[in-house]
Formats: sequence, structure tokens, C-alpha cells
Amino acid sequence: MDQIILLEDLQLKYPGGRQLFHDFTLSVKKGEKVLILGPSGSGKSTLLQVMSSLIPGVLEVPMLAKETVTPISWGYVFQDPDSQFCMPYVDEELAFVLENLAVQREEMPERICRLLELVGLDLEDMHTSIGKLSGGMKQRLAIASVLAMEPEVLFLDEPTAMLDPEGTHQVWETIKGIDEEKTVIIVEHKVDLILDYVERIVVLDEEGCIVADGPISSILQNQIPLLKKYGIWYPGVWEEYLEEREPACEVFSISSNQIPIITLDEFTGYRGKEKKIEVEKKVIHSGEWIAIVGENGAGKSTLLESLMQLIKTKGAYTFDGEPVQRIPFERIGFVFQNPEFQFVTSSVYEEIAYALRLEKRKEEEIERQVEGLLHRFQLEHLKTRHPYQLSMGQKRRLSVASAVIKQPDVLLLDEPTFGQDSKNTFRMLEWLSEMKHAGVAIIMVTHDLRIAENFADRVWVVEDGKVKEEFLGKEFCSKAGNRREQHAIGIT
Amino acid sequence: MQLALPKKESWIHGVNPSLKLLIMLMIFIGIMFIHDVDVMTYVTLSILLVFLASIKYPVKIKMLLLLPFLFIFLTSSLAMIMFGKGDTTLLRFGLIHVTEESLFRGVHLGLRSMVFAFCGMLFALTTKPVQLFYSLMQQGKLPPRFAYGFMAGVRLLPIMVEEYLTLRNALLVRGVKQERGLSGLVKKLNFFSIPLLSQSIRRAHRVAVAMEAKRFSRQKTRTYYYKTGFSTKDAWFVALFISVFMIGFAAADYLPLFSITDVRYR
Amino acid sequence: MRRMKRGLKLTDILVTIVISLVFGIIYKIWGPVYSLLTPLGLQIQELSYGMWFIAASVAYLLIRKAGVAFLAEVAAASGEFLVGSEYGLMVLVYGVVQGLFAEAVFMGFRYKKFDVMVVSIAGVAAAIGSLLMDLFRGYLFDYVWWNVTLLISFRIIGAILLSGVLANVLVKALEATGVTSLLRPASKEDFDSLRQ
Ligand SMILES: Nc1ncnc2c1ncn2[C@@H]1O[C@H](COP(=O)(O)OP(=O)(O)OP(=O)(O)O)[C@@H](O)[C@H]1O
Ligand SMILES: Nc1ncnc2c1ncn2[C@@H]1O[C@H](COP(=O)(O)OP(=O)(O)OP(=O)(O)O)[C@@H](O)[C@H]1O
Ligand SMILES: [Mg+2]
Ligand SMILES: [Mg+2]
Repeated sequence: MDQIILLEDLQLKYPGGRQLFHDFTLSVKKGEKVLILGPSGSGKSTLLQVMSSLIPGVLEVPMLAKETVTPISWGYVFQDPDSQFCMPYVDEELAFVLENLAVQREEMPERICRLLELVGLDLEDMHTSIGKLSGGMKQRLAIASVLAMEPEVLFLDEPTAMLDPEGTHQVWETIKGIDEEKTVIIVEHKVDLILDYVERIVVLDEEGCIVADGPISSILQNQIPLLKKYGIWYPGVWEEYLEEREPACEVFSISSNQIPIITLDEFTGYRGKEKKIEVEKKVIHSGEWIAIVGENGAGKSTLLESLMQLIKTKGAYTFDGEPVQRIPFERIGFVFQNPEFQFVTSSVYEEIAYALRLEKRKEEEIERQVEGLLHRFQLEHLKTRHPYQLSMGQKRRLSVASAVIKQPDVLLLDEPTFGQDSKNTFRMLEWLSEMKHAGVAIIMVTHDLRIAENFADRVWVVEDGKVKEEFLGKEFCSKAGNRREQHAIGIT
Repeated sequence: MQLALPKKESWIHGVNPSLKLLIMLMIFIGIMFIHDVDVMTYVTLSILLVFLASIKYPVKIKMLLLLPFLFIFLTSSLAMIMFGKGDTTLLRFGLIHVTEESLFRGVHLGLRSMVFAFCGMLFALTTKPVQLFYSLMQQGKLPPRFAYGFMAGVRLLPIMVEEYLTLRNALLVRGVKQERGLSGLVKKLNFFSIPLLSQSIRRAHRVAVAMEAKRFSRQKTRTYYYKTGFSTKDAWFVALFISVFMIGFAAADYLPLFSITDVRYR
Repeated sequence: MRRMKRGLKLTDILVTIVISLVFGIIYKIWGPVYSLLTPLGLQIQELSYGMWFIAASVAYLLIRKAGVAFLAEVAAASGEFLVGSEYGLMVLVYGVVQGLFAEAVFMGFRYKKFDVMVVSIAGVAAAIGSLLMDLFRGYLFDYVWWNVTLLISFRIIGAILLSGVLANVLVKALEATGVTSLLRPASKEDFDSLRQ
């Protein structure tokens, strides 16, 4: 038989969690291109790990199955860009894979070069430290190292979650360009670019049961209500959502006498001695929503970190009318690009309650507020779990929840919606809208141009470490589309 | 691991790391059999010369590097000087009893520690960890699992430093107040050590999973990106250290410094 | 060695090495601490010596497999060595010896016990290992008798306190964060609950 993967009657349960798969059966034929969809936390990443035999081979998760067939030659791109490398430099990392394949030493430099080109990672020097790459660049390197293996089966766990639109496009083009014969299994929330590539869709529900499985055309024709129910991104979600949403709220207007909450003038941020971000003159008011867009490595995260004064900065920076000496941390909420950077306690509940505990609020009040947010961000059933034991999307939501609970005046968010299903994305956006209307200034880095267009008042475009241009949110797509920058920010 | 120091390579960088390690170990063992304080003094001096001549750092940094050595000398000799056995009393003060024998024995011990320290520093400053482990795999037949384990570990070290900074940032961002004084320090230690350790365990685990996913354990034969081998530098290096010892013994013979030739207590 | 090959997976090796390297840095910082205590005389500094055995205990308590303690102690020593310990090569040789002695104790218990007792005994064994080394390197018996006695007893007490008790406390705190579920095989109960 040409079945390359078979799982029969799979049962799986993380220690201390609820059972994830009940009598789960799935088979994949050689050469099939399968897309696995499902709400956040439904077990997609876990499923890929089982199919690649990482579970239980390397990760000892309790698991039973009547029969399992797993491929011999496979490659895996992980969801977390930060911990899939074992060597300090880009070239050494790729060389590590080539060594594993016993490629001759003389051929290595050339192959490394070719691989980097293939994924569009153009570095001045191959021998660049991995620590200095931005999140998106790391993900490209991860893809390059998988392609180096020329595997029979490719497992891709949201490989483009952190990439800019241009990069996303490139990565999918790269993947589409590889051998027809290969089996490819993809987990991805943003499906627009791959619908013409995959042949089969498998949809999971919250418990990890298969609720739909079939050729792509039939799923997209007949199962739209199902996809909607489980909060899965499908073409047209945005349009439907925007239609249903209450007519756009009043346009933001600045009353002339309002003091800006933040002003920046010749503001620069440094990493070590290098100047990495520069802002000429910007003003932000309470109740304003600013989206920051730009290529991978442009300096968006650096900008937020400068605003938070986590790195060295120079220039004029006022907060609420006063020059900033020490940043008032109680008044600014911050969400790191990597959610794990944020966690300081050992359970989901405590993580959210943390800010309130610091303020010594009453226990009942804490409970009321935390429960409210747990519900809002769909984390109720995970209350006692350690933050690191969540799925990627759950971690992301937890990091946002724990930043918004203290009701800050300014909220800095670094890609708060990546890796989310549509239901959770919209919920989060609505929650942010409410905060905005309550007068919170929101500054948000995003690669999702829809969000920039439909929610932001203004859009800043960051390019090469500079805030280059500014658009009104609504006009962003049409205006930016006319510019040269369209390439950089991926409007096609 | 020259983390923060300026990088200027000396010829010793080019010596095969496994060989370098082996020589250093032989020096260690060899030194254990020297009981003559004269020889020890000359050997120490020549190794100090080698150290100073072959490390290409600014004089200021070299002096800074030497500072702890002095300390080492004192701490490893003092106890023996004050509390060692001996018959020819030089000084007696309460429990302290300095004799000629214990004095020389103490100095001898101090010199020993200094030699170990010079050699260690010389090795650490002239060897890149990645090169060392590649060489240990190729010349030392160290199983790749351990070598790559070490290399990945070394790569994770700066990440952990960053993690410490991140954790500090997280605490700042999340609004923790910094406390001063000793109780603040203890609290801080507590606050940082457990998360940092558990975080590094998780990270190491994930990296291991990623390495396995790159088919690390499947392959029986492997090739190497960096090829390490032997060169004439290696011969020079061996010759250098043999001559250090020869000079030590010869000089002690012609120009003895102290009256005692064997520091052991009869 | 063969036993190690069968028992230790790459994940075990990497986790052991990484935490040991962290301890390696602590070992390095410990050098000056030990030296600063020395001028107090009367071998007080020996009470702090046990810190240099802690990697073996912690790694063993965490991973609970054969070979881990030895690997941990060697890795910690190499880490200390590579960042430029002022003791130089000595630490590497001592690390190997101390690791072997601690490992021998765990082997004696057939890798079946994981409590304060075992790690304390292993700490004492490592202390004995280090004392043997001192015998060769440091003319241990050429101190006057009461001084040697103090040195030996302080080192053993320190070993019990630091690499026994402290290691145990650390590991308990780590267990509370749930990280150990990554390192230890799934329990039988978990499997049983799947069968229903
Ligand atoms: N190490 C772990 N320990 C315990 N529970 C875990 C662990 N990893 C994941 N889980 C739980 O298992 C469930 C499935 O997780 P998984 O990562 O497979 O989800 P996912 O479908 O990939 O979600 P996402 O789209 O958010 O990445 C989640 O509810 C999660 O909380
Ligand atoms: N810790 C660091 N040390 C040194 N340089 C860094 C560090 N982090 C990022 N950089 C560099 O700073 C520049 C900007 O990085 P930044 O992370 O701000 O990009 P970004 O716009 O957020 O990209 P992405 O969309 O991929 O997250 C990049 O050139 C990157 O190489
Ligand atoms: Mg996932
Ligand atoms: Mg970023």
C-alpha cells in the first residue's frame, strides 16, 4: 500500500491534562498534500509530532495506538523559532544538517549558500550569529535546514506565523516549488495562499476529533458553517465578519486641546552600540490605535522595546506631558513578541492575577476580573496549567490577557494575533477596541494588513530601522498600494 | 571562551585542540611528580613567559588577567605555610606554626596552582569551543551525541544570559519593585534561579527534539564541516612544553635557589 | 559505558549538559567565594567546598538515570574550565574524579533511590574523591593532624549541606514548576487512564 502515514485508534493525553485524542484514526497517502485545520489548542501540533514519531520516540507523552506507520525520512519546521537551532552560527546550523546526511565537506559551503537563497535569507556573511536574526529570519533559517534534508515527508507547523507578507509568499512559493512526489502536511491558520496547493483538508474540533476530512473543494463548498463554528480561517471570513460587525464606530478625532500621551522627537533606540530604530517626530493620543507594519528585521520589535525603555535610547520622549526619566511601568502594558518571555509565575491563573496581586487588590475582586478574562480568552479549562504547557495560541492569548488586566493607559503589543484562530482573533480585536474606546492608546505590531486597515487609526511603516511613512488606517491599503513600498509590505 | 575579550589570534589558536588538551593534562600529571621547589620555580617562570608572550591582548588586560593568579598563589599556600608539618621553627603564634619546611611546601603548592592556572587560562583563551569539540570527535573519538550536546549547550549559554535579561525585563514590565539590601538579594536569587533553571531545561529539551528532528541520531557515519587535523604548529607546541620542563630541571641544577630540594615531610 | 549508551537519550544528555554548564558558571563564581573564606584560617572555607559537587546531585535527581551524575560533574567542570577558571586544568581532573565517586554511590543504590539521603552520601563520596586528589596534589597529610581533621570534617559537612540538602531543595522547587514531566517517563496511571 502506498500509505505513508497511518494512525489507528490513537489515544493521547498530556500528564495532568484532559485526553486529547479518542480513537483517532487518520491515514495519509504518499504524495498527498494535507492541510490540518482546527481551533487553537485542538491538538494540531501534537498530531504532527505523533505523525513524525517525535511522540513517543523523543517526547514521552502517554500514548496508545492499535497501529502506527510513520515515515522514515521527514523534516519538521517547529512553531517556535527560537529553540530549533543547536549551533551558534547560520552556516554551522545548516552544516549540522548536512553532516547528519554525510554530505562531503567540500560541497557544504555551496549547498548552504543555495539553501539560504532558496528561502530568501540574504545575509552579507553566512557566518552570522543566529542570535542576531529577527524572529522572521530565524523561521526562514529553520525552513532552509529542513529543505536541506530533502525529506520524503514535510511537516510544517505554522511556518509563516511570524513572517511578513512578502516572506510568507516566498516561503509558500518555495514549498510549492519542491518536488511533486513529496508528502506535505501543513498546520496553518492563514490559509489563503495555499488553497491552490493542498489537496485535502482535515478539520479538528476542540477535543481533537476529526469533524471533516475530504478534498479541498468539497470542504470549502459544503462545510463553511462548520469552519465558521470552529473559528477557522477560510477565504471570506473577514468580509463576513466586517459585514456582521456593527457599523464602524466613529472616526477618531483629536480635540485640539488634548495633551498627547506620548510624543517622540528624534528618538533612537540602540542594540549594543548599533542604532537600530529611528523616529523623527511622532505624537500619540489617548484612544488612538496605531498599527506598525514592516518587513522582518525592519526594527518593529526594537521600536516597541525602545518605547518601553528596555534598550538604550536617545532623544526626546515624553509620556503624558512629562519627559520620561523612568518609564511608569504601571501605566504601560507590554506584550513581547515571544509570549514565553513574559511569564513570571507557574500557573495560568496566577499569571493573569499577577498585576492585581502587586496592587494588593482584594481577593474577590481579583477572582472576578481574572475569571472574566479567562472566559474571554478561552483559557478557563487551563487555569491550573503551567504557562509553558500551553499550545502556541494559548500562550499568546495568556500573554495578552496578563498585560491588559491592569488597565494601562498605553498598550504596546508585538504581534498579538499570530497563531490565533479567527474566533479568538476577532474576540481579541474587539476587546482591544473596547479598551481603545475607554481611552487607551494602542500601539500594535502586526503582519496582518487586514487588521491594520480595519482597526487601526493610523499605520506606521517601518523600514530599515526607520519609521518611514504614516497612513490613515482606512486609506492604508489603497494608498500604500501605489507606492514602491508595496513590495516591502506585501500588497499585491 | 573569549566572551568579552578582544579577539586577536595567536599561533596557539592553530594548534590542534585535542592535542592541546592532552598536553595540558600531561603537564598536570607531570607537575604532580615535581617535589623540588627549585624546579617548580623555574617551570612556573617559563610557563608565565610563554603565557605572556603568546597571548595577544593589550598589556592592561594581561595584567588584569594575572591578578587572580596572585590570589590563587596566596590561598593555596597560606594554609600549608601556617599549619604544615615541619621541624625548623621560624615563627610560632598561637595555633600558627611556620617552619622552614612548611614555608617551602606552601610556596611549592602556590606555584603548582599557578602553573595549573596559567595552563588553563592559556587553553581557554586560545581555543574555540566549537573547534575543540569538532576535534574531540575527529581525533578523540568522542561520540557525537556528547560533542554536539556540549556545542548546543555552549550555544545556549549566551541565550541564557539573554534570558536573564529578558526575565529582568519581564519583571520590570510586569511591575515588580526592585528591593535593595541583603534580603532583596536573597529574594532576587530565589526569583531568578528557579525560573532560569527550569527555562534552560525546557529550552535544552526542545533543542534536543529539534536536533532529533534533523535526523541526528539516525546517521551512522557523519562528515564534518570543520576539519581538524595536525600541522607543524602542533610539533612546535609539543617542543615548547618539553623545553619548558627541560629548562626547569637544568636551571635548578645549575642555579639552585633554595636550600630544600624535596618539600615532602619525611 | 555501554549502559550509558542504552540509557541516555539525546534529550537527557542535552538537558544534563545545559544545567551543568549553568552550574559550571556557578562553580566559577564559587572560586572567589572559597578564596575569600580562606584567609579566615582554620579551614573554614572547606565548608563551602560542597558546592562543587552539586551538579551531579541535581542532574541525578532530575533525570534519574545511570551516567547522568558523572556526565553532569564533568560538564560542569568543563564549563568552569572553558570560561577560564583560575584553577585551570585542575578543575577538569577533579571534576572527573568527583563525578566517578558520586556515580559509584548512585550505582550502589542501583539507581533506585532519589532522596536527600542518597545525594548526601554521593556528596560525601565526591568529597572523598576530592580529598584523594588533594592527597596527591596538595600534600594533604603534611598538615599538622588537627588541621587535617578539621579540613576533612568541614569538607564532608559542607558536601552534605550543599550537594545533599541544597540540591534536594533546588530539585523540589523545580519539580513544582512542572518541568520534570519532560524528563521522566510517563507514569503508569497516565497510561492506564488511556485504556479505559
Ligand atoms: N507539554 C504539554 N503539557 C501539557 N499539556 C499540553 C502540552 N502541550 C500542549 N498541551 C495541551 O494540549 C492541547 C493541544 O495542544 P497543541 O499544541 O497540540 O495545540 P494546537 O492545535 O497546535 O494549538 P495552536 O494552534 O494554538 O498552536 C492544548 O490544550 C494544550 O494546552
Ligand atoms: N538581541 C539582538 N541583538 C542584536 N541585534 C538584534 C537583536 N534582536 C534583533 N536584532 C537586529 O535588529 C534588527 C531589528 O530587529 P527586530 O527584532 O526589531 O525586527 P522586527 O521588525 O521586529 O522583525 P520581525 O517581524 O521578524 O519580528 C534586525 O536587523 C535584527 O537582526
Ligand atoms: Mg500548535
Ligand atoms: Mg519583531
